[in-house]
Amino acid sequence: MLIKDIQTEEKLEAVIEPIEDNDYKTLKKNKAQYKWFNWDKYKGQEVYKLRLKDNATILGLMCIIDHTDPGTNAIEIELLEVGDDNVGDKKKLDNIAGCLIAFACRESYKRGHEGWVFLTPKTDLIPHYISHYGLAYTPPLGTKLEGVMVAQPIISQRLVRKYLD
Amino acid sequence: MKSYKEIAKKYKPEEIAQSFVFPDTSGKKEAKLEAFQQFRQKADAKRTEKDKIIAQLLQLKFQIEDYINTEVFNKSQHFGFFLKEYIERLEKKNKEFASEIDIDPTELSQIINKHRAPTEKLIIRLEIHSNKSFPAIMWFKLIEKEKAYELIHDKEIRNRESKHVKQKSAFSL
Repeated sequence: MLIKDIQTEEKLEAVIEPIEDNDYKTLKKNKAQYKWFNWDKYKGQEVYKLRLKDNATILGLMCIIDHTDPGTNAIEIELLEVGDDNVGDKKKLDNIAGCLIAFACRESYKRGHEGWVFLTPKTDLIPHYISHYGLAYTPPLGTKLEGVMVAQPIISQRLVRKYLD
Repeated sequence: MKSYKEIAKKYKPEEIAQSFVFPDTSGKKEAKLEAFQQFRQKADAKRTEKDKIIAQLLQLKFQIEDYINTEVFNKSQHFGFFLKEYIERLEKKNKEFASEIDIDPTELSQIINKHRAPTEKLIIRLEIHSNKSFPAIMWFKLIEKEKAYELIHDKEIRNRESKHVKQKSAFSL
């Protein structure tokens, strides 16, 4: 998978792998990068980190939940955070969150969930998850029912191709 | 966890959506799961046979990719095993598939059962058959992984070939 250096437009090879216990210590020391969430709370859960292939610095984190019950049969993205250097208009590297979301889609296929992925959105973010990643919101907006953002198989396939191939 | 409002003071919504997914703190998780399940149920009802096969093939492709990239070697996950999976997921019989890629059905069966080594022409034909979804290089890496394991662990060949080495190097590093 490739992430993009915004200044040079160079494509950089990245890897996603399970977080290790030592990484939690590194995250604690490097609070400036991951200041919004307490990742220690997710110890023991399925947490992945994204880093450049030749560099150990963690650029992004994601916690997923594997819903294996037949009714759900999908991967849920519980939490995702990109390191502070790469958030907003001053970011240096692009596509970190895209790669992590695409990884969740790939895992969904791999585990037999046929590409189904969902996440809980903040209301303000719904249109942006739709326009940026092609996710769908259900139930239809305006129904005042609790809803989720969904990556259907066709969208998951597209995200895998865009970010991971 | 800091609140969404705090993050929103620093970044625009589109920037937040491109960098964060927030955990559900609404206490309405059950209702959300239900919304997802209903959505999925409706979509599943419209799912075609082709959709099912695509999902099965993607699962297989990602499993092969991950197996190639792991250092673990599993004897049961040989070339023939994955080829058999490929054929089955396409819902084809061996004979029908052999005809599609113009290979003798006996040869195909021998490769699947590990009685014959896969050839270069076969993996090229698999790439073409799959419209490049299962590229030849992927099948090649699978063969290479098996070969590497055999090379490391084959004592018999070492015993056999050692007879041909009349004089060993004076150096051992």
